[in-house]
Amino acid sequence: MTALLALAVLGTLALGAVFAVAMDGRIAQLAAGFARQRIETEAPDRLNRDLAAVWYLALAAAGLSVVPFAPGLALIDSPVGIVIWGTCEALTIITVFLHGWSSNAPFPLIGAYRYVAIGLPVMLPSMFVLIAAALPAESLSLPAIVESQRGMWNVIRQPLGLPLFAIVVLTLTLRGPMDFADAADIATGTSAEESGAARGLWEIARAAMLVSASALAATLFLGGPLGPVLPGPVWLWIKTAALMAIFAWLGRRVARTTPSRMLTILWIVLLPLSFLHLAMAGVFAL
Amino acid sequence: MRLSRLASRAPAPVFGAIGPGWQVAVERLLARSGLRRALTPRDAGILLVAGDMPGDAAEALGRVHDQLPHPRATLRWTVSHETADAVADRIVASWRDLGAIDEADLLPDQPPNEWKGVGPHGQGGKGMMGGTPYGRPMAMTGEDIRDGLQLDRYTARIGPFAPMLPPGLVLEVTLQGDVIVAATVQHPPFAQPVDADAPELCAARMLTILGLDGPARRAIHGRRPGGIWVRGAVPRGLGGIEGAGDARDRLAAFLGGDRAAVTAPDLSELLPGLEWSEAMLVMASLPPSAILRAARLPEAA
Repeated sequence: MTALLALAVLGTLALGAVFAVAMDGRIAQLAAGFARQRIETEAPDRLNRDLAAVWYLALAAAGLSVVPFAPGLALIDSPVGIVIWGTCEALTIITVFLHGWSSNAPFPLIGAYRYVAIGLPVMLPSMFVLIAAALPAESLSLPAIVESQRGMWNVIRQPLGLPLFAIVVLTLTLRGPMDFADAADIATGTSAEESGAARGLWEIARAAMLVSASALAATLFLGGPLGPVLPGPVWLWIKTAALMAIFAWLGRRVARTTPSRMLTILWIVLLPLSFLHLAMAGVFAL
Repeated sequence: MRLSRLASRAPAPVFGAIGPGWQVAVERLLARSGLRRALTPRDAGILLVAGDMPGDAAEALGRVHDQLPHPRATLRWTVSHETADAVADRIVASWRDLGAIDEADLLPDQPPNEWKGVGPHGQGGKGMMGGTPYGRPMAMTGEDIRDGLQLDRYTARIGPFAPMLPPGLVLEVTLQGDVIVAATVQHPPFAQPVDADAPELCAARMLTILGLDGPARRAIHGRRPGGIWVRGAVPRGLGGIEGAGDARDRLAAFLGGDRAAVTAPDLSELLPGLEWSEAMLVMASLPPSAILRAARLPEAA
């Protein structure tokens, strides 16, 4: 059973990443990238440069491993599943930073520092959203959170949860309005000095993280594998794919403001909103 | 084999090195389907050199050329009777056949100064701050212009083909973090035709900085750009100029199809105090003719 679940995690990650790249219309572009030379900058931090994308992929896989594919059935059935996911979120910030740091050039470094400044205040609402989702289940385990949604999905009883989590997903996957690491004004930031396979691998890792974060959002808010007729994994895939499409659409459509203004919005509007969300979830759970 | 066939269907990634008078033609060209405007030379396979480059830009052009990963090709578009269709066809043909073309470096691939130091990565030695050890300028602490604390200052020259700045403009900026504390114009932007001030092109430049590539493309094609929270994303009061509103007002004017008549203050006064991303948004909100007038060389100012 464990082998089957491991296969499900890897298969979901691989097929989901292909789906994510296809949604961006970048399959051919990605294939073209792998045929090209990888550029070497002067005195790069080679270890971290090579590890950043791999690390990013590994975090996506680790995050997905706690998601239940059928009621009560996750590869890592941890009593503290959402804490493991939260760790993956926090380490993603460090990974993106290392990606920008390692090429030893100004624009990537600006992107790296900018992302850390934005990532920190995004993590705070994220933690409150995760805790709020755990309240009705009275457990930090994801299978228990799924069970708690048999009567009613969290997306209905915690209406602010999914919109707040969407901001977290866009940040973790470097998309659109939250892509402060790889922005146009710094010539694609942390990726500015990367070409060829390195650029392609980073793209794949971003896509994999979108799969993982969307699957988690489906589990937290849409009842994960719960649903009539079809088997659990199929419901999870349908819900994950739908959320991926929404996040990709938001990423393409919503404008990105300046980092300093986004910081103000995060600390002054979204953080208090996530407090309110947690309080509402608590009152509802009582 | 199948991978290479798939790869050849990808839109051709083009880095545009734009010369005097060619900004409009290149911006419209690179918004076509089948072509993709690369935001860094590292992401491009084709270097498009449009127009006659002045001699003082030759070295910079060589550096940009050498930054493209192999295989790569340079295409020149210097005669105005060659249509955009013809150039687009040439680009796509070169992209499909890039492996057979490939070009060697134009400049010697050597660091301008030897890289040496004490540690295994060339780090260390005496005097870690300031000065130019081994020919490399090092950051030195200076007063932060916002709170008076001490923070590293780093000076760099950006341009003349930086994709986020007008073609030809070379800025020497001193940054603390990503806050510009000083900016001087080393080379003014190349003169462009009045069409470069067209509202749809100005709007597209701002939309690109706002991360909206699709809407920017649609704006250039004269369609409704779409996009959510477009005006709202530009902070109120940013880049406010007497008589021309702020950057948000100018974006609203561009999106409404109006040309903005702007008399911008000198760039060395306009940019300091802004964060890099704010500064690039302000620059994109100025029509090229206004930037040309505002980019006075230090000795002329």
